[in-house]
Amino acid sequence: MNPITFLIDNWDLYINGFIRLFQAANLAFVFAMVVGVVIASFRVSPIRPLQRFAAFYVTVFRNTPLLIIFFLFFFGLPKLGFTFTPFVSTVIVMSLYTGAYLGETVRSGINSVDSGQAEAARAIGLNFREVLGTVVIPQALRTVVGPIGNLYIANAKNTVIATTIGLFVETTAAQRLANSTGQPIAAFAAAAIFFVVWLLIAAQIFTSIEQRVAFKR
Amino acid sequence: MSSVLTEDLGPRGRQRVQIANWISLVVVLAIAAFVIYRIAVTGNFAPELYEQFISLDEGWVQFVIAGLGNTIRAALIAMVFATAIGFFFALARIARNPVSRALARVYIDVFRSIPLLLLILFGFFGIQQFVNISQLTGLVIGLTLYNSAVLAEIFRAGILSLSKGQSEAASSLGMTYWQSMQLVILPQAVRRMIPAIVAQLATLTKDTSLGFVIGYEEALRRAGALAQAPPSNQLQAFVFAGILYFIVIFALARIARRLEVRSRRRYGAARMEGGAGLEDIDALGEEADEEELAEREMEPAVSG
Repeated sequence: MNPITFLIDNWDLYINGFIRLFQAANLAFVFAMVVGVVIASFRVSPIRPLQRFAAFYVTVFRNTPLLIIFFLFFFGLPKLGFTFTPFVSTVIVMSLYTGAYLGETVRSGINSVDSGQAEAARAIGLNFREVLGTVVIPQALRTVVGPIGNLYIANAKNTVIATTIGLFVETTAAQRLANSTGQPIAAFAAAAIFFVVWLLIAAQIFTSIEQRVAFKR
Repeated sequence: MSSVLTEDLGPRGRQRVQIANWISLVVVLAIAAFVIYRIAVTGNFAPELYEQFISLDEGWVQFVIAGLGNTIRAALIAMVFATAIGFFFALARIARNPVSRALARVYIDVFRSIPLLLLILFGFFGIQQFVNISQLTGLVIGLTLYNSAVLAEIFRAGILSLSKGQSEAASSLGMTYWQSMQLVILPQAVRRMIPAIVAQLATLTKDTSLGFVIGYEEALRRAGALAQAPPSNQLQAFVFAGILYFIVIFALARIARRLEVRSRRRYGAARMEGGAGLEDIDALGEEADEEELAEREMEPAVSG
């Protein structure tokens, strides 16, 4: 059976899973932006323990497979007495994971802001927080719109891994349909259609934002 | 250390930073202490939970040697195929023939957009419809499809990052397309791409853990299997699996970073623009940034 008819036949199952996934991924990305900016600020701050903590955080999260982080969070933490629902776990894990990457990206943006900007801001009497918050970071974010767009896409794709801890997202639907109908190719291809459409649109949006706000150095 | 964000501090500022240092240190330590407290209170420090991973018995051999071996095996095979296929599609993507360009573009865009997990499920369960393949083959197919598309973009960005003058000079010397590719373009482009390629290969190794979902016996699944048997120590098992993966991935990422620093020093600030997988290498510039900062700090010392 071809994927399109398969998709139409099982539309409800797919669209429900997709909406759930879409929510989790976007919610996680918003939190990840917060985590990323905080981590990046820690890393450029003059306070040693915060620098070290942020460096440690980034190293650990970037060099450990996401699947293992999910497992630790979902199967390991209950052993320590913390339990979260699959949806909440997904959002937390994804925002921590993507946040580590965003932190590095934002930091590379901060480093790319001309030092004259920070010097000028200090010269007119702004303190560290104001220098960073009103002058440097707004410019830094503009230069890294492209990489942030890439991370948005990576985040969306990585969220799928949450199926392994039982969050009912689209691929779980596809997996179950693959088993029950015995047509894995059509089932997975139908799920893939959502991603190709979603992510190509997202890529377009980010490109147009980039063209509007970014200034090349 | 003083970045451009803070000036050299006066006595009061230094005092404030000192206070902030202590406060944040206390907070960080408090968090660490809380975690340790929870682990202790729930009895997760019990030595028998760790025995499996520390003693050099059968479990250790099965888990570490075999599991990690399987991880590395799948990663290496996928690396070879992904690099070869990615290279092919990169060349097709920048070829003069519009049909080959369009086909390569579709391949790259489609496989970069589909989540890797889906490709692995597809590679295993989908193909098993027709021929009986092992989990290893399924995992390698999924990893290759995805990473070849990403690597193709890296190769393409590397080739396009060369100044146009290079290929023009080559063709004005009478070289054919292939001659200029082989003798002029690729030798230079490959050098620039290597850090991004190694970073992508580190990501590939990381993604090998997804073999878990199709039942491939890599380190994570072996660890999970060990945890199934009593004593039930999933937390410890997953931490150990994480450490094993971390060592391999961190080593690769480290190499990528070194190469990046070296190539930046040698070829100046010229870098590839755009392309996928580059978010990794952008962020990987950590050490390079630090060295640049060090250089920048040295300059005024010389001039002033």
